[in-house]
Amino acid sequence: MQRTPLLFLLAMIACGKPVPSEEVDAALDRAEPDVELPSPSLRRLTRSQYDNAIGELLGDGLVLPSNLEPDQTTDGLLAIGASLTTISPRGVEQYEASAFELMGQALADESKADDLIPCVPEDTVDDACAEAALEAFGLRAWRRPLDDDELSALVGIAADSSVVLGDFTGGLHYAFSAVLQSPNFLFRVELGDGGQFTDYEMASRLSFLLWNSIPDAELLEAASAGELLEDSGLQAQAERLMADSRFEQGIRAFFTDTWTLYELDELTKDPTVFTHMSPEVGPSAREESLLGVLDNVITENGDYRDLFTSTRTFIDRKLASIYSVRAPVREGFGETTLDASHGRRGFLGQVSFLAMESHPVSSSATLRGQFVREVLLCQYIPPPPSDVDTSIPEPSASAATLRERVAVHLEDPFCATCHEMTDPIGLGFEQFDGLGHFRTLEAGATIDPSGELDGKGFHDAWDLTSRIASHERLGPCLVRTALGYASGHSVTDGEETSVDYLSEGFAYMDHNIQFLLMDLVMSDAFRMAGDIE
Amino acid sequence: MKPFSRRTMLRGMLGGAAVSVGLPPLEAMFNCSGTAYAAGGGLPLRFGLFFWGNGNLPERWTPTGEGSGSDWALSEQLMPLASVKDLITVVSGMSLHTDNIYPHTSGAAGVLTGCNLLAYEDGREDGTFAVPSIDQLIAGHIGGDTIYRSLETGVLPGTDGKSYNGPNNQNPPELSPHAFYERIFGASFREPGEEGIVDPTLALRRSVLDAVMDDINKLDARVGTADKARLDQHFTGVRELELRLARLQEDPPNLEACMRPDEPALEFPEVEGRHPIRDIHRAMADLLVMALACDQTRVVSQWFSDPLNNKLFPDATMGHHSLTHDEPGEQVQVNMVTQFIMGEFAYFVEQLSLVPEGEETLLDHMLLLATSEHGRGQTHSFQEMPLVLAGGACGAIRQGIHHRSYTGDNASQVMLSIVRAMGISAASFGVDAGEVTDGLSEIEA
Repeated sequence: MQRTPLLFLLAMIACGKPVPSEEVDAALDRAEPDVELPSPSLRRLTRSQYDNAIGELLGDGLVLPSNLEPDQTTDGLLAIGASLTTISPRGVEQYEASAFELMGQALADESKADDLIPCVPEDTVDDACAEAALEAFGLRAWRRPLDDDELSALVGIAADSSVVLGDFTGGLHYAFSAVLQSPNFLFRVELGDGGQFTDYEMASRLSFLLWNSIPDAELLEAASAGELLEDSGLQAQAERLMADSRFEQGIRAFFTDTWTLYELDELTKDPTVFTHMSPEVGPSAREESLLGVLDNVITENGDYRDLFTSTRTFIDRKLASIYSVRAPVREGFGETTLDASHGRRGFLGQVSFLAMESHPVSSSATLRGQFVREVLLCQYIPPPPSDVDTSIPEPSASAATLRERVAVHLEDPFCATCHEMTDPIGLGFEQFDGLGHFRTLEAGATIDPSGELDGKGFHDAWDLTSRIASHERLGPCLVRTALGYASGHSVTDGEETSVDYLSEGFAYMDHNIQFLLMDLVMSDAFRMAGDIE
Repeated sequence: MKPFSRRTMLRGMLGGAAVSVGLPPLEAMFNCSGTAYAAGGGLPLRFGLFFWGNGNLPERWTPTGEGSGSDWALSEQLMPLASVKDLITVVSGMSLHTDNIYPHTSGAAGVLTGCNLLAYEDGREDGTFAVPSIDQLIAGHIGGDTIYRSLETGVLPGTDGKSYNGPNNQNPPELSPHAFYERIFGASFREPGEEGIVDPTLALRRSVLDAVMDDINKLDARVGTADKARLDQHFTGVRELELRLARLQEDPPNLEACMRPDEPALEFPEVEGRHPIRDIHRAMADLLVMALACDQTRVVSQWFSDPLNNKLFPDATMGHHSLTHDEPGEQVQVNMVTQFIMGEFAYFVEQLSLVPEGEETLLDHMLLLATSEHGRGQTHSFQEMPLVLAGGACGAIRQGIHHRSYTGDNASQVMLSIVRAMGISAASFGVDAGEVTDGLSEIEA
């Protein structure tokens, strides 16, 4: 068994593997179909984008706010909810408190204050020095240069506040805080101009997609020089961002959103039923899944489908106890290979998926099947009809296992229309209980892990995961999700051509996610803007 | 109102033994005959919402008998309300007339707005409320004179609540009693008799908010229709915060029962490995009661639990949602959970009834609605909706009665009665099939 300490693992991730550039360039260069794009929308920063942006602006070591406007999920993605939701009165209050608190922390730190104020004030009020500080900070925070009116308003706040407080830096505290409360910071303003996104808007689109954060100085300089409106300049910056350590943050955000891994924060399990349960299980399980993704996308620069068939994984002691294997490392996460005899492999064999798509005291064939259909294959299951009894029989001598109990779903034609889409998939994971622990018996009866996917039977979870990994919808579904994630809206009819185009490229390049992202960045769907309506 | 020169000492029941002091009579400020506000116009009524998820068991919920006094008796699930039976109004047999498409979410929209849910494109999520929820509808009319337009709290972990200002714009509830305390009763809070905050930085904060409003207006000129609505909502929030900062400089209202409450614990220990639901609810309810008693707000909502929540309640062997669907037979555990929730509602009602306001109580001056998104949870039913009111809003709503509809009348009627009882002249409540233009006359005084 190979054992990799976490630090070494992270170093490997940071390095990445080179992309074979000629092959990529040839693939990127293929003819692109026309695309019709909807009206652009403002996107509110997600919780993680806010935190990441603060990290970029003010550096590490600050205590970040724990209480900010929550994200909204729409059509499966927080990234889409961000285009619909707004800022509530409570949110305004929280953003105000957070802005003052964070700027206060930063200005109390001598080296951070020196970075923020690039001059020595000559008096309590020094408009020139304040302007220099606010111009630089505003450019980073708003991802574009401030116009004269905006800058003079901020300089005015700084001056007035400095007078009242009798302190230059104290006055700037108010002006900096104004920058962080502005819609120009809290919303992503990418509205396009003349049918395409502007140079600075492209900088934001690139950095939020690949880093889940604001552009760095170099990217803003490229925008200023007009490079991001050119193929070569855009590709060069995308390559740079994907080679940067912050790409990890971007990939984490994409898969956390796509796979709804944020739900693991609220994992409710009955500890008397699941003796391995503790508050760390959810976050640990998410980390396992994300380390697997980073290994696939960055370290190996491999095939997306391997995420469903790999027996290598990265676990900590807590997860090792649930998987009944030796912990690979004493502290943190280390690499291990799981026991193939359990049929366990890939993301769908991990505690994250298995526990998240279960009930507090039991597994759920329906929830697990629904996740596979909706999240991985982009097939939406209608909600159950109203005014029907949705209960399933209690365990009994004649129906001990979940399979026997949910049989009613499939026998009753009223239920079967939808449940035959989900339950026969979910039953394939029944040898993993509601927390993901392996078992062969349920209520004394042997569990049969066979099932059926799209009319073809499978024997067990191992067999099922091969079938899902090779499913024709798997790749195009990730493409569709990535497009929604990058654009902030559900894919519209006019963008179906882009889904097809990107799916062909993704399949051709062996389902390589780095290629997909580059292909997406270079596509019209990412660079062109619809008319404002 | 001019501040009193001395601090009010009468703390009522919450402060322990009542101490009477020789101050001018304060009932003038809040009484149901309206004498005090004759000059200022309008009585400061208050509204509260207590919402729980997953419905009830109608056969164990519906009281026996109808009418008032001893003509009716509390049911098994309502028995925890025995001590406040004369203060409550139970309406049974009402139904939602809106569309029942998405289990739980359609019901929440139906009961709280009388309007269908606004669906999203591909239907993977259940959509958003199309119009403001009843708490915000009321806050829009009576929330303008206090520091906070409305306050939202929650009890179970992860609770999102369903307080909507409009589509895609929710007021997330505060789930930590300590954070809620800090927000309302922290550094900026002034007890009666204290003077307003004299702090020049409040004006500076307001000038920052002015700049933010300028930014919003400038951006507003560039965006599409949908974004304009979103920016309007952002703008409203900023303007409200600015007003709040201005009000902090005024002297606090002189209210006899108002006092800074004890600071709640930072963390509440788990009870037998489970979330301490009762402890958190009571801590939160105490703070809400004092926020109302201090007139920090006139609209509160307590999101006890979310629609569809699958949390483990005390002594339950499955999550609440799983229980409603999968517990066989008479659903003994669902019954137990519902009783537990009603016990907590009773606590909230009792606490409100212990706060003296003149010769009456805080509860007399408000209306508190307890409801859920379904009748029977097992079938996602829109029939037999649970609706309990408390307080009567200065006699606008009859108390101590059980009214039953035998024809599945539209629950929006109750909502319209509530809205009107709050002094709002509304022509209707709800939209399309959920719309009504008549309140429920049987509960109106």
